[in-house]
Amino acid sequence: MLGFLKGLSVTMGQLPKKKVTLQYPEVMPELPDRFRGVHRFIPDLCIVCNQCARICPTDCITLSGTRDENRKMHIDTFDINFEICILCDLCVEVCPTDAILMSDTFELAVESRDHLKLDMQWLTESEEEYEEKYPDRVPSLDAVLGEDGAEVTE
Amino acid sequence: MALIPNGTDREPMRSEKGSAAAQNSAPAAQGHAPMPYGGPAVDDIRMEEMLLNVGPQHPSTHGVLRLLVRARGETIVEADPVIGYLHRGTEKLAENLQYTQIIPYTDRLDYLASMINNYALCHTVETAIDLEVPERAEHLRVLVMEMQRIASHLLFIGAYLLDLGAMSPFLYAFQERERIVQLFNRICGARLTYNYMRIGGVKYDAPEGWLDDVRDFVPWMKGKLEMYDRLITGNEIFLNRVRGIGVFDTKTALAYGISGVNLRSTGMRWDLRRNRPYSIYDRFEFDIPVGQHGDCFDRYYLHLLEMEQSLRIIEQVLAQMPDGPVLGKVPKIIRVPAGEYYCGVEGARGELGFYIVADGKDKPYRLKIRKPSFVNLQLLPELLRGQSLSNLIAILGAVDIVLGEVDA
Repeated sequence: MLGFLKGLSVTMGQLPKKKVTLQYPEVMPELPDRFRGVHRFIPDLCIVCNQCARICPTDCITLSGTRDENRKMHIDTFDINFEICILCDLCVEVCPTDAILMSDTFELAVESRDHLKLDMQWLTESEEEYEEKYPDRVPSLDAVLGEDGAEVTE
Repeated sequence: MALIPNGTDREPMRSEKGSAAAQNSAPAAQGHAPMPYGGPAVDDIRMEEMLLNVGPQHPSTHGVLRLLVRARGETIVEADPVIGYLHRGTEKLAENLQYTQIIPYTDRLDYLASMINNYALCHTVETAIDLEVPERAEHLRVLVMEMQRIASHLLFIGAYLLDLGAMSPFLYAFQERERIVQLFNRICGARLTYNYMRIGGVKYDAPEGWLDDVRDFVPWMKGKLEMYDRLITGNEIFLNRVRGIGVFDTKTALAYGISGVNLRSTGMRWDLRRNRPYSIYDRFEFDIPVGQHGDCFDRYYLHLLEMEQSLRIIEQVLAQMPDGPVLGKVPKIIRVPAGEYYCGVEGARGELGFYIVADGKDKPYRLKIRKPSFVNLQLLPELLRGQSLSNLIAILGAVDIVLGEVDA
């Protein structure tokens, strides 16, 4: 009986304490800088080196690009199949120009499977939203636009 | 749980035949005392074996484990775990993946102790290619692994008590675990599937102020462990529920290849961190608590004691944390020379081992994972035989399985 009462005193002691739960979605959780949410993609930075597509363990990234008159590669299509993406962050790790990053969007529920095929249009719109939310995290394009097509050798 | 009558000649639950038989046999005439509610006499109750299906979608099976239980009355005659509902073929997938690409898949094995899984793979590959890991990386690894062990053990205690019908320890355990998960979220950007370690080091150095927060966490957690001790350990209801059930001895445990807390609860002092030191564990002082009876209570209590030891290790790691790089000199493409390599580490549930057969390419020829949950589960039919049905969940819970790992 004593042990039982001792345990009960712990429970009673909990009563006046502050609640630890978060009233989501009214209150959104604070996420750290390194949080891995849905991808961000900045087309202007991409040099079409294909490294992200090759490191992806689930092969969820497909991309294509063309070479312009200055022999510089430009991205044409960039699709992420979010049905199979495991948010492992390896694509971000290998990207030499930080064209692909991770946002803090963690709400991944959609109404249809088709919405999980993230294409350039989706990614651009999402990036605009993100930059509006965090103006200080807009990537600087100077580094890439200044150089003329510095390609990364593998 | 659903009751399914065994055999083909199924009879309705309210059997008229049964009551007719009761009338014919005339219990009073044979000298049997009738049941108080006026039913058939004790000897006339038909003892039919029932096939009882537990799971796979049962909250107390900790995932998608299905148990086929043959019961005679309240007693379990035979219990047969049916596994594979969460099978994703990790070992086969790994054959087509580069070594770095396998790391996110290891997160999803024992998803309550991803850091340790990460480490086990990286450690095996590092041993195979003889790679030196920077000091700071090793310290960070041990730090996060011990925190992970605490998080995993906390969840065990919470979930186990919830299985036994106590709600509040579960909520407390999640509150404490949340703090660890938040710390992990800050260091590697995820709450469960960390993908934090890399071959040759770790992905990120600790962010600013992180180590100080861990330093604050340790005394706080010590206080919480005392709270758990007061809340649970002395509770008579809990003690009556777990003392002396699910007992097995060291010999049985070794014969079945049991490891981890399950083995130590039988009194054998076997911990890979001490017996086959890996990483930098030989530099730290810590005890290996062992049980005496090998029952469910010992297994619960060892989890509590091990958390205390993990906190001790964390304190020592923080005290010696060196500066420096967190990733060693790793070749761009990691090729493991042809051969066979095995490294076992002390996971949260037992010996977690990765066995790599390499043919000199950047992908393993074959990867075999020694999954402690899977091995520990093999003992379950033995433990359940002859037990009362009401002990089923108590025994299953104490074996501490994670289905992501069992099914892999």
